Amino acid sequence: MNIYITADSIVTPLGFNSQENIAALCSYHSAVMEHKTSTVADAPITASIFVDHKIRLQSKTMDIESQYTKFERLVIMAITDVLDQTHIDIADNSVGIVIATAKGNIDLLDYTAESMDGRITIWKSGDRIAKYFKAANRPIVVSNACISGLSAMIVGKRLIEAGVYSNVIVAGCDVLSHFITSGFKSFKSLSSKRCVPFDASRDGLNLGEAAGAVILSTDNTDNSILLAGGAISNDANHISGPSRTGYELNLAIRGAMDEACVKKSDISFVDMHGTATAYNDEMESKAVTLAELQDKPVQSLKPYFGHTLGASGLIEAIVCMHELRIGTLFGTMGFQKLGVPMPIKVSPTHKTMKMRSCVKTASGFGGCNAAVVLSLPEHAKKSRPEPQNITMRSICTISVVDAHVKRGNKTIFSSKDTEFNVFIREAFKKLGDENMTFYKMDNLCKLGYVTAGYLLRDFKYEPEEIGIIMSNAAGSLDTDIEHQRNIGENGDAMASPAVFVYTLPNVVIGEICIRYQIKGENTFFISEGHDSEKVSKYVQMAVSEANLHYCIVGWCELLGTRYRSSFSLLENMNYVK
Amino acid sequence: MEELIEKLKGELIAELNLEEIKPADIDAEAPLFGDGGLGLDSIDALEIILILERNYGIKIDNPAQGKEIFYSVKTLAEYITAHQK
Repeated sequence: MNIYITADSIVTPLGFNSQENIAALCSYHSAVMEHKTSTVADAPITASIFVDHKIRLQSKTMDIESQYTKFERLVIMAITDVLDQTHIDIADNSVGIVIATAKGNIDLLDYTAESMDGRITIWKSGDRIAKYFKAANRPIVVSNACISGLSAMIVGKRLIEAGVYSNVIVAGCDVLSHFITSGFKSFKSLSSKRCVPFDASRDGLNLGEAAGAVILSTDNTDNSILLAGGAISNDANHISGPSRTGYELNLAIRGAMDEACVKKSDISFVDMHGTATAYNDEMESKAVTLAELQDKPVQSLKPYFGHTLGASGLIEAIVCMHELRIGTLFGTMGFQKLGVPMPIKVSPTHKTMKMRSCVKTASGFGGCNAAVVLSLPEHAKKSRPEPQNITMRSICTISVVDAHVKRGNKTIFSSKDTEFNVFIREAFKKLGDENMTFYKMDNLCKLGYVTAGYLLRDFKYEPEEIGIIMSNAAGSLDTDIEHQRNIGENGDAMASPAVFVYTLPNVVIGEICIRYQIKGENTFFISEGHDSEKVSKYVQMAVSEANLHYCIVGWCELLGTRYRSSFSLLENMNYVK
Repeated sequence: MEELIEKLKGELIAELNLEEIKPADIDAEAPLFGDGGLGLDSIDALEIILILERNYGIKIDNPAQGKEIFYSVKTLAEYITAHQK
């Protein structure tokens, strides 16, 4: 089954559709500039930020009512644009929606408010967007830090392959606020100049705002691009620092290429995450080399858009589609002298070249990596095997609720003290785990870590043959509130990196992957409830395509004093090494 | 100096969430980072930069500079003594 991208839209400060953005890139225009003052940071910031009145004007022209948030408006704009390009009816039950975001409406977080603005919960915001379009299906929300955009494309593709939908609209968006800028600043990750990926002079990233959307379909229409393969891996090394070797990103690249049945010689270029932080770019140069693509031209689009977080994978993949079509490889603007350990081929200027396929990668907090392969349809490989239907069995289920740890229905640990912090510490100690990192984790991670501990006790597997797919409803809201309180009372400079790093739900996956050496597929969904049939279908397809032997599928929810987790360890009965 | 070392130990334990560790458990001359010692990581280094900024008014702009300064509680104390205004 071939999955095509049949429509695309990029919404950034450079333009409100793909054409405007591609035209801007062709003329080396960048949306990244220094803002002496802004509504998103206390201090001057070099970033790509929308001019508010332009969004208002565009919303007005499109008649998007004022009750929609900035995040929602941008997603609505991008989806409207892709729907206009096709005959797909979003009200049809066969059309699905996948939304990617790292932080959604986090700019609305008011830690002093007595009740939370419901729109901060991303699945609710997703429902609002679906309602605007009178869509038949509720959106599936993916929040996988900075790989969210690519994750969502892979999710959309697999849902079509699993027969859940015939067409999927994949949208991604993130907007900036003090919440995000203060956190990255506390990480000393921000450059005061326009970022220069892979360059010896690079000194950090620029943040950016963007939305993007594509339509995935089995129909090959004019100008379609083939989404030939996609894979996700985890470093299992550190929640914020990238792998020292690049081995795991290399796994994702190889996984995507294997699925696409493309060889090294089919790849025309590699579009990397290329954030321009010292360690990210270093890791990527190693990963490209391990994947044996070091002879291919490598680019980063961050100097044009900045790092647009959960939207970045998607909008950059869309640019790749256009590069394949127009036969132009965009230069990594500003690049002068290579400053990464492995000799990769980076050029500051655009180049005309013959195109076949490309690899697009992303990496993010929580140790996650993703890669997709995009191909011109005429270069589609006929040899691609159909995804196999597999049978899975549940080996064990561990749930944690009301100060009890249960294996199936049987209580295997309980505490008299129902206070979460006391209980979880006792449950952790009972595991005999001496990992001091536990005490540094936020409560959501402690819950997930301990649940995984009971689940995986004495269980043996190879790191690359096991994956982990999690969901919850509140994301990382518990820690989001703490971070917002830190900066809300005394300004951006009070942000704590040790708190900010936990403001991403998929970091719970990261902590589990580090401790239990899990390097396969890892995805975090935000949904209202635990019992999603669509997530189950996704798990089946992910396990089949990534050839996993085992997969942990879980729900991990914690907000204030309420918590509940339930993880199942599943075995792929059709697994062949 | 001894007083500062003890104070720093307390601040590190509190700010870096080093639960289960008492000031007496920390050897002032043992490495803070890497295997052995306290096994701190890059996020801890950023937090130590904040401790220096907020509690001692000392700014470290280049995190790479931290490597020698943050070697042990003792080197930290020496740096603070030398640079505090």
